[in-house]
Amino acid sequence: MAGNSSLYLRRRFTNALALALSTAATVLGLIFLAWILWETLRQGIGALTPKLFTKITAYGEEGGLANAMVGSLIVNFIGIAIATPIGVLAGAWLAEYANRTRLGESIRFLNDILLSAPSIVLGLFVYTIIVLPTTALTSGNTTFSGLAGGVALALIALPVIVRTTDEMLRLVPSTLREASLSLGIPQWKLTTQILMRSARSGIITGVLLALARISGETAPLLFTAFGNNYMTFNPMDKMSSLPQVIYQYANDPGESMHAIAWAGAFVLTMFVLLLSLASRLVLSRNKVSHD
Amino acid sequence: MQANVGAVASTIVQEERAHRDARHDRLFSWLLKGCALLVLASLLGAAGATLWGGRHAFGTFGWHFLVSSAWDPGSDTYGALVPVYGTIATSVIALIIAVPISFGVALYLSEVAPAWLRTPVASAIELLAGIPSIIYGMWGLFIFAPFFADHIKPWLTNYLGDKPDDGKLSWVAQHTFIGKLFGSDYPFGASVLTAGIVLAVMIIPFISSVMREVFQTVPTRLKESAYALGSSTWEVSWDIVLPYTRSAVIGGIFLGLGRALGETMAVTFVLGNAMQFSASILDPGASIASTIANQFSEAAGLQKSTLMALAFLLFVVTFIVLLIARWMLRQLAHKEGR
Amino acid sequence: MTESAAAGIHPQSAASSAPIAPTKIKVRDLHFYYNGFHALKGISMDIPEKKVTAIIGPSGCGKSTLLRIFNRIYAIYPKLEAKGEIVLDGENILDTGYSMNRLRSKVGMVFQKPVPFPMTIFENVAYGIRHHEKLSRADMDIRVEQALRSAALWDEVKDKLKQSALGLSGGQQQRLCIARGIALKPEVLLLDEPTSALDPIATGRIEQLVEELKNEYTIVIVTHNMQQAARCSDLTAFMYLGELIEFDRTEQIFTKPSKKQTEDYITGRFG
Repeated sequence: MAGNSSLYLRRRFTNALALALSTAATVLGLIFLAWILWETLRQGIGALTPKLFTKITAYGEEGGLANAMVGSLIVNFIGIAIATPIGVLAGAWLAEYANRTRLGESIRFLNDILLSAPSIVLGLFVYTIIVLPTTALTSGNTTFSGLAGGVALALIALPVIVRTTDEMLRLVPSTLREASLSLGIPQWKLTTQILMRSARSGIITGVLLALARISGETAPLLFTAFGNNYMTFNPMDKMSSLPQVIYQYANDPGESMHAIAWAGAFVLTMFVLLLSLASRLVLSRNKVSHD
Repeated sequence: MQANVGAVASTIVQEERAHRDARHDRLFSWLLKGCALLVLASLLGAAGATLWGGRHAFGTFGWHFLVSSAWDPGSDTYGALVPVYGTIATSVIALIIAVPISFGVALYLSEVAPAWLRTPVASAIELLAGIPSIIYGMWGLFIFAPFFADHIKPWLTNYLGDKPDDGKLSWVAQHTFIGKLFGSDYPFGASVLTAGIVLAVMIIPFISSVMREVFQTVPTRLKESAYALGSSTWEVSWDIVLPYTRSAVIGGIFLGLGRALGETMAVTFVLGNAMQFSASILDPGASIASTIANQFSEAAGLQKSTLMALAFLLFVVTFIVLLIARWMLRQLAHKEGR
Repeated sequence: MTESAAAGIHPQSAASSAPIAPTKIKVRDLHFYYNGFHALKGISMDIPEKKVTAIIGPSGCGKSTLLRIFNRIYAIYPKLEAKGEIVLDGENILDTGYSMNRLRSKVGMVFQKPVPFPMTIFENVAYGIRHHEKLSRADMDIRVEQALRSAALWDEVKDKLKQSALGLSGGQQQRLCIARGIALKPEVLLLDEPTSALDPIATGRIEQLVEELKNEYTIVIVTHNMQQAARCSDLTAFMYLGELIEFDRTEQIFTKPSKKQTEDYITGRFG
């Protein structure tokens, strides 16, 4: 039947076209990925010298990014140190105490929104509640600080940790809870000593993912940690961080500054990618079979 | 007698332990609840802080603020139109580009890719999501914008725009409004479109991973029955899978939109930061986030308050978009009975 | 009380009217609701001490639900309600005043899927004990060994007590869970389909263990495997759609059941 065969032909064509386009789309995505990574590598590796890690930004194009890297480590650490305990406990509440309750569902919902909230707004929030009051209280001696930066990063890391903890704890089979309660173990011991231990690798993955996320954040640090051309370990000082310095140098008209910015970008990308890889390894290596 | 005393004593000890356990349980649950409520507090705090910081601006400019394209630090007059338009325009362009590509990626990964290729390609696409936004900014500024200026923009301005190099307007530019959209004599690569493209690359992994996850929840039986009737892969995806997952797909798109609206670094470098309104997407512009990033450190008084007000607007809009996104994603979850 | 009604509560064959053993748990008119659904309807039975009582019935008949009321584990879930009486050693455990701690130390439970704690083998057994009693290192070692011996696991794990329990086989993990349960020296042991996730060899060992354990503990076992009930138990209760249809000595139930429904189930006419 001629009519049918032309119909089939058309359908076959549409199908082939659609699948070809989808392959093309994927290839396009991969091209962009390769392009970005390749350029970062190419541009950055040129300025990847030892002095990048030993000299500070005060020396400009003769200097390096040492203080920025140290600053990054410090604010990241503060952020994770604040967000992890709060996030894990909050996630535990959602999974163990409020699972399927109205309040629990609402908080879970709001957490998901906080997860994607604009980080610059969170930075301004911390500016308002920490930077402004500290300025007033110390009469201008302390304004921006690494601590404020850390708190801003904590706000960004928090929902990630809450969500992973919540999901990982919910994966633990309920029989484990029942078995524990049958022995007369109280809920708080059950949660901390048994359930969290059971979901441990998942929770750690969440923390690593949060760390990877905040390591690359720039905007919230602009008005909290602000930046510092000199090396400092005091969180109450202004502090520079790697993304913030990259931003600063990229805006500089000088070519050699750009080169340093690329080197910093390369180091940052490597760090973040390695963290993501590590988190994946943690999850797969410690996959406890809950069959 | 001994046994009885022992039994009574052990009951008392048991009771004590029970009371102590109950007390600890209560404290523990309060501690946890407090931590969870901090999530709520952060959201309220962010909204409240920016509203409070912006009160001066809102009070001074009133509703006119939203439609004014003024931006003059000299006379301390500011309007939100340019940054708001820039935020929306770049995000919409990003969506227009990213959604079909994300769908293509999700389709490829679910239906086309051979099994051994699936995980590596999926991981590679997810890698795009892991790259810090400042890297996108660097790449955008130093690599993509010049590339755009050299290879893409001239083609667009000459064939579609109303300000072609040789002065001869194309049919499209003469007879449709498209000319206005693509006309530009700005010499550099920074523009609304450039920022939109960079944003698109950023949000592709988010949208495609939601789509892919959601495609995988379609019951195999449903797809098998369609295949049994002779449907092709494409037809099953378009006619069965997509409608079944429709609300979640929309949710994923809104999620991508929410991310795009709030993005700062990827956009600041390639948007141009021009505080004047232009209809052309090939002209530079400004977004709320990029304006705040550029001007906040030096701003004071009314300008600072204006920036806070803009932040509040951004937060509210993003909040609503994400609310819709998550709500639509929940719809599919409920359908699954989760 | 009429003969037939009495026959339903006290498991006794028509031949002798003497009860089998002193009653450990007395269930009277138990009703259970979840989400408004009337899951258990007027259950009454006397579970004798230091015997194995099996509860059988088709899926959804309420046997697991009934078992789980005996240690009130249902209380952790919302919208579940029990009415009636369950008297253990003279006290009604359904009373709001009855301490859960006491209940849980008297009644132990082993679940369908082996769920060892993510700890060492030693810790798995010691954990529960530690919460209830303060023992010296030496005393704890002895208690753990005792429990593991009673669960017929000691010989297999005595050299690897410090290893993670998750490395044990399914059957070993289940015996560990039994050891964990009896470490608290309960009086009653509830087993909820303890071998359904295990292979036949492991199942056999657990059944052997049950045979040994009944000398010390009152055992109530829920099983969907009729042959298992016939093999292991002294008494069997047959349930259907939330009601207790028949409760008698195992030989009686499996050879001369007095209710037609029981006979139909035993012979496989439905199930």
